[in-house]
Amino acid sequence: MTKLARVLLRGMTPLYLRFLVWLRRLRVMTVKELLQFSRDGALILFMVYAFTFDIYLAGSGVKLQLNMASTVIHDNDRSFASRELIDRFRPPVFNVEGSISRADEGTHLLDHGKTMIVLDIPPRFQQSLLSGAPTHVQVRLDASNSVLGMFASSFCRRIVESFGFQTGLKRLGVDPRRLQSGPQVKDSYRVWFNPNQDDRWFMSIAELLNIITLFAILLPACAMVREKERGTVEQLLVTPLTTFQIMFPKVLAMAAVILAGTSISLFGVLRYCFEVPCRGSIILFYAITLLYVFTTAGLGLVISTIARNLGQAGMMAIITYGPMIFLSGAWTPPEAMPRFIRLLMLLSPLHYYIDASYGVLLKGAGLTLLRDSILGMAILGGALFGLGMWRMRRQFQ
Amino acid sequence: MVGGGSTPRPQTANPVVKLRAFTKNYGRQQAVCGVDLDIGFGEIFGLIGPDGAGKSSVMKAVAGVMSFDAGTLDVFGSRIDSERSAERVKERLGFMPQGLGQNLYPDLSVDENIDFFSRSRLVPRQEAEERKRILLEMTRLTPFRRRPMKNLSGGMKQKLGLVCTLIHEPGLVILDEPTTGLDPVSRRDFWTILSVLLREKKITALVSTAYMDEASRFHNLSLFYGGRVIAQGSPDQIMAAVPGSLVAFETKRQSQVLAGLKTRFSDVQARGSWLRVFVKGAGEKEAARQVRQAAGAAGEDIAELRSGPPELEDIFIALLREKKLTSEGSHSAAWLAESSAPSIREVPPNGGADIEAQNLVRDFGTFRAVDGVSFRVERGEIFGLLGANGAGKSTVIKMLVGLLPPTAGTGYVAGHGMLQAPRAIRERIGYMSQVFSLYRDLTVVENIRLYAGIYGLDRKQSRARTDWILEMAELAGHEDHQTEALPMGVRQRLALGCALVHSPRILFLDEPTSGVDPIGRRRFWDILFRLSRHEMVSILITTHYMGEAEHCDHLALMYGGKVVADASPEEMKNRLALQAGQLLEVKTDNPLPAMNVLREAGFEGVSIHGRQIHLLARDPGAAERHIRELLAQKSISLLAISEQPLSMEDVFVYQVMNLEKNGGKTA
Repeated sequence: MTKLARVLLRGMTPLYLRFLVWLRRLRVMTVKELLQFSRDGALILFMVYAFTFDIYLAGSGVKLQLNMASTVIHDNDRSFASRELIDRFRPPVFNVEGSISRADEGTHLLDHGKTMIVLDIPPRFQQSLLSGAPTHVQVRLDASNSVLGMFASSFCRRIVESFGFQTGLKRLGVDPRRLQSGPQVKDSYRVWFNPNQDDRWFMSIAELLNIITLFAILLPACAMVREKERGTVEQLLVTPLTTFQIMFPKVLAMAAVILAGTSISLFGVLRYCFEVPCRGSIILFYAITLLYVFTTAGLGLVISTIARNLGQAGMMAIITYGPMIFLSGAWTPPEAMPRFIRLLMLLSPLHYYIDASYGVLLKGAGLTLLRDSILGMAILGGALFGLGMWRMRRQFQ
Repeated sequence: MVGGGSTPRPQTANPVVKLRAFTKNYGRQQAVCGVDLDIGFGEIFGLIGPDGAGKSSVMKAVAGVMSFDAGTLDVFGSRIDSERSAERVKERLGFMPQGLGQNLYPDLSVDENIDFFSRSRLVPRQEAEERKRILLEMTRLTPFRRRPMKNLSGGMKQKLGLVCTLIHEPGLVILDEPTTGLDPVSRRDFWTILSVLLREKKITALVSTAYMDEASRFHNLSLFYGGRVIAQGSPDQIMAAVPGSLVAFETKRQSQVLAGLKTRFSDVQARGSWLRVFVKGAGEKEAARQVRQAAGAAGEDIAELRSGPPELEDIFIALLREKKLTSEGSHSAAWLAESSAPSIREVPPNGGADIEAQNLVRDFGTFRAVDGVSFRVERGEIFGLLGANGAGKSTVIKMLVGLLPPTAGTGYVAGHGMLQAPRAIRERIGYMSQVFSLYRDLTVVENIRLYAGIYGLDRKQSRARTDWILEMAELAGHEDHQTEALPMGVRQRLALGCALVHSPRILFLDEPTSGVDPIGRRRFWDILFRLSRHEMVSILITTHYMGEAEHCDHLALMYGGKVVADASPEEMKNRLALQAGQLLEVKTDNPLPAMNVLREAGFEGVSIHGRQIHLLARDPGAAERHIRELLAQKSISLLAISEQPLSMEDVFVYQVMNLEKNGGKTA
């Protein structure tokens, strides 16, 4: 060995040793967090529930489509034409549950939520049609669930319109079937990414992302606050550990726990029960999830420096969780939101994560497509973690 | 009586409180087990014992706020067996829960707090005003009537609590640890006021305390341990339960002599440079002879030796041993004596200060918690910071270990400036905070390994240190227990072990023994003694137990954020003896008027302890004659006058009183 190399090595050794000690500290602190987690039976139970049953419920229970909508008919005409119209309200969209004889009965049923749609057909409906005079039917519907109400009204409109159009053609002596060869625009659409428009795919993924968000905020925040409450953090602060070495292992351990939960959910519920595909790289999905957990954990750590006890930390987590979801675009596309809210959305890490995970799972997107989302999360995460460290150092002085 | 065959059944005619075979369980945990108690009219009855001994359970049951599982309870002659029967006697009771100002409203003023209590007790308006005036006068709280309770000092909070408890003139007051955490001055003040008030209003009191040295304040008392009464009666009766004498002497070969004596006597302790032996069943002369002989066998020729009566704590421990209620896990004599280093501290002549505080100041808002504190801790020394809650002890420690930046001043720890090199300091010190700060959901070994890793020990070192800690802290058998389930004393030893995992040169211990029972405290001090003598560890320790101060090599008394005295315990006592004289104990049949007479006559340090009065006198002979004269004039019969050894509490009280007299200048 040359003299130079020996000198270099001598200079290197302490650095190399120091790095070893640094790693050892990170390791023992992370192992400590995992041990503590493994001793918390109630928390484990809650996590298992959230990552399995809760997501299953969301995926199988919630439907955004109109399905067997309860319909009641008030037929004042009782004619061939009225029956033909009524016959067009069919399952699976509609479910005609009966008929009534008075208008106020329909009001009563709607008021009490016993039915969703009331179809009123006026007297002399058929007579008017045959005589060529215009006539009306009335649809009353319960739109307290605005999405379903909108679906119902558009379905009803289409049924009544096509009935009117076809009746009109007949009256003019045109056979509707002959129109097929006439001038006409046909729409032919292809549904991409979710060809069967299966709500279970959308809902179960959305819920998984929500659960990941919840735990990524809550777990590190609570782990940190518990140390504050019990005074153990004081003990750590008088050891040679740096603030980073105290805080980062919590994020590391909780990220491992959350990734484990995500795997259970992804393979046990999403794949197995709902046959959600993973069109992109599963490794990319994990990588993005890891990045997202770090980002959101930074938020949890900021919370933990403000909260004085577990109760406060829990409340603050819930308060931040709500806006994060509304600002994420999980329920509404960003384009539909007012401008200033769209700007706020740039601050919600979930916004980027939703784009990226639907992208990977359903669209099969790769790194190039997701570059902006990943960059957004990384910047937000770095800022939040930095803020958490800064506050942590300050609060004890 | 269960578990205590030798304890006599209480015999009192028409007791205010009568407890028979009283038992209380929390789930499967037995808190109190078969306790018998009689509290006579007009007496101050004491419950003494460590945390978790069952004192609070008894008090809550008597106060009618907690049900119990077996036995009978009579208060004012009526049986308490249901919520309704408890409700009937409640208006004749006053209850003050544990904790400073726990029953008061922090944001209400002194006046408003008292008014609230008198209205909720339906005291007629005019009578309430009159009582309030008298009580405020007696407790000297009148100048603070408009101050919100949260801005009062600890002593004032407790006095206000007492006023609120007494405003409806109950027949029985129940005070749960009213003096815990108070400084000795406030404690004495509180006891004097309590004695006077109870005597004037003809009130009976049930009072608990964790301080063994407060026993002399009671007329009768019960010693509690593990939910049982191990002794009962007047302080004198209890002292007579285990006859024996205390022998103390100074030696230069402490460790060897200690080891030698341990083979012969069960209760030997090192205190500072002294050794202290409790010799059971021997008079003072006989005890001295036995100790001299045993020490001679260990190769020590004792020149000067003091013998005298034991303290209540010695009796308490002897009783526990007699009843086999404690596991004798204490270290073998060999362990304590095993020496790798010379047993007497070889302090480098000058320099060698391991800790040095220079004019440390710390403000919290407008409040100055620490005000110009300076001291030096030499290598291998046990240095005690002594003071009440809120005196600034913890703040000083937190500044030195780098948890709090000082407002002004600086300090050096292990040769590094605390402002310049906080990280270098952190690598060289061990710290044990006031609250138990290890992970409760981890096991003993997991905790030790965690700290070994944090301090960068590798696997081999970590294993070696773990073994060392398990032996040192006597944790064998607890290795895989979660620390949550461990008794207080064991937990504190584990915390000490974790603070020592990286073999630091310097240890900071912030009230490590508060809440630990006397046996646990002694074991803890045994370990500290060995660390300082053999491993040359410098130890800075804070405590509010005045008795523990005698273990230290050097002491700093803190009061109101300042160091008011700084010397070794012996020096402090000698200085007090020079300045104020010896401690005299005066026994009379009517202590309250006697106390007033002696105060008016200008005696210093007059305070009341149950039926006795303590005072300081430079010339005991002359003082005795003077006292006899004074009391004869007032026709108060004098039973006895005797000289007592000075305690650290006497020193503390005298220093602080002097300071207040001289307008708050630092000594």
